[in-house]
Amino acid sequence: MFLKLAWRNIWRNKKRSVIILISIVIGIIAIIFFEALSVGLVNQMLDNQISIHTAHIQVHKHGFNDEKLVQNYLPNVEEVVVNLRKINKVKFISRRVISYGLITTAENSSGILIVGVVPEEERNITKISEYVIEGNYFLKNKNEILISKRLAKSLGISLNEKIVLLASRVDGKVGSELFRVVGIFQTPNSAFDKSTIYINLRDAQEMLGLGNNISEITIISTNVNEIMMLKENIAHKLGPNYEVLSYRELIPSLVMQQEMTGSWMLIIYVIIGLAMIFGIINTFLMSVFERINEFGVLKAIGMHNRKLFLMIIYEAIFLGILGSFIGSVLGLTLVIYLSKVGLNFAVFAEGLSAWGIAAIIYPEVELTGVVKAVIVIIVISVLASMYPALKALRLQPVQAIRHI
Amino acid sequence: MIKVVNLKKIYQDNGVPVKALDNINLDFEKREFTVIAGPSGSGKTTLLNLIGALDLPTEGKVFFEGEDLSLKSKSELAELRLYKLGFVFQAFNLIPVLTALENVEFTMILMGVPEEERHERAYAILEELKIAELANKRPNEMSGGQQQRVAVARAIVTNPSVVLADEPTANLDSDTGTQLMNLMEKLNRDKNITFIFSSHDPVVIERGRRHIILRDGKVVSDTSK
Repeated sequence: MFLKLAWRNIWRNKKRSVIILISIVIGIIAIIFFEALSVGLVNQMLDNQISIHTAHIQVHKHGFNDEKLVQNYLPNVEEVVVNLRKINKVKFISRRVISYGLITTAENSSGILIVGVVPEEERNITKISEYVIEGNYFLKNKNEILISKRLAKSLGISLNEKIVLLASRVDGKVGSELFRVVGIFQTPNSAFDKSTIYINLRDAQEMLGLGNNISEITIISTNVNEIMMLKENIAHKLGPNYEVLSYRELIPSLVMQQEMTGSWMLIIYVIIGLAMIFGIINTFLMSVFERINEFGVLKAIGMHNRKLFLMIIYEAIFLGILGSFIGSVLGLTLVIYLSKVGLNFAVFAEGLSAWGIAAIIYPEVELTGVVKAVIVIIVISVLASMYPALKALRLQPVQAIRHI
Repeated sequence: MIKVVNLKKIYQDNGVPVKALDNINLDFEKREFTVIAGPSGSGKTTLLNLIGALDLPTEGKVFFEGEDLSLKSKSELAELRLYKLGFVFQAFNLIPVLTALENVEFTMILMGVPEEERHERAYAILEELKIAELANKRPNEMSGGQQQRVAVARAIVTNPSVVLADEPTANLDSDTGTQLMNLMEKLNRDKNITFIFSSHDPVVIERGRRHIILRDGKVVSDTSK
């Protein structure tokens, strides 16, 4: 009966209850939306970084990651490749030569990271082939180079033009080669675009005097949830002469950002909660003061303060649950729709690309986020009703009955 | 049964003390049918409120079945009102969102009476008061007289020792008022419930077997038929 009474009390003043419900619904939609957007944003940054260059796992000679020298090439590469192919859950591998160098034209030059790849292998690992916007993703000719649109612009060169690459060889001398631009790419990460070029593995090995040696092997796992386990497995199989790193160690700042999303959301919860709580308190106060006389009667017929308090709290819980349900349905519908079509932030494309984010952001639905939002909203509703409820309890029955 | 000793109640009206009751001493026995009469502002409602533990006296004591109400906690006073007292108000004061049946059942819910039993008892009392057809109606669908009958049903359904009724006929027409008094008299006679009610209507006052007249917060007359 208390629940029935609380439910009916809510609908005594429909307009007021609808106002509370609207504020709860808006609050919950806002929480679900911001949570989905934050998760989508950070995951997209991480996914982009993984799919542009980092991959799930990288294998190097021990110490390479601290000092990326061409002399630190992988020992016994054939044996390593054979071993890796045997490991369950290794889906794709790609061999790379990595070296810092200089790209020069007649007028300009720029420091860059030279990445020598086997085009067919790299296609399975990164999306660089998909990011080619002009020309081709290698034509199987000698001395072909892929550069970014941003770098091409700063160097003042275009497709089919020639450039010279300079880099330190294994023997300590300077190696240089003439390359023809066969493709221009553009990734969502402007910082990466400014500093990275791709050439054929064979051309890189020749220019740097590496013979058949390579600097790193990148790996894509069959299961993204078991990358750490796979990494440990590979490290164990290859032994201490090799450095096996997952994307978590290779791009720790992004991983940390992903893990910090929860903390950011807490701040969002507090802001939305504060915005809502005063509105709800105000409306509940009106609702309670309008019924003070009735509370007096309830006390007069023997209702304990505890039960009266609970009755008011039940009203808040009902409103919280109802508002959360409507808000969750609407919020989820909105977020599911946006997760398919994406949110176009083309106006901020330049700024976003500096952070490795594409102009279209796809919010990601997290059911735990919805559950958290529902709990937060119900708690806020209950907290907001406590002050008016306590005020109602303090009155003597006769004071309450006389209240107009 | 109820003993009122040196009872005083002083209200503050914009900082000015107003004496509502001045040194009242009264005894109420079981099965009394007592009317407290007097002009407006004489202290009738204040006296009923203090007897019913709805308010605290400024001085003096109220004893209910030998127990000093001033020594009881808020929770104990709520228990007393629930189990021993019934209230009928001038303005009916039914819970507007509940039906007549639910209003009558409500006090039994507070007492923890099982659903089936309280349903039966509530129906039985509505039938006894000849208002069973109102069972599923809400207060706004009932006349004043019907609402007051439901209020009486709510007051007596818990089998209280005493029913306190503050001007129960004030908002009713004279015929309905007479019917209500007949009902209260019958309950007093058949169920041995003590009734203490207030009124300034001479016809209603005439129905009381004991008459307590108040004026300016003092008892000016206390007579029994």
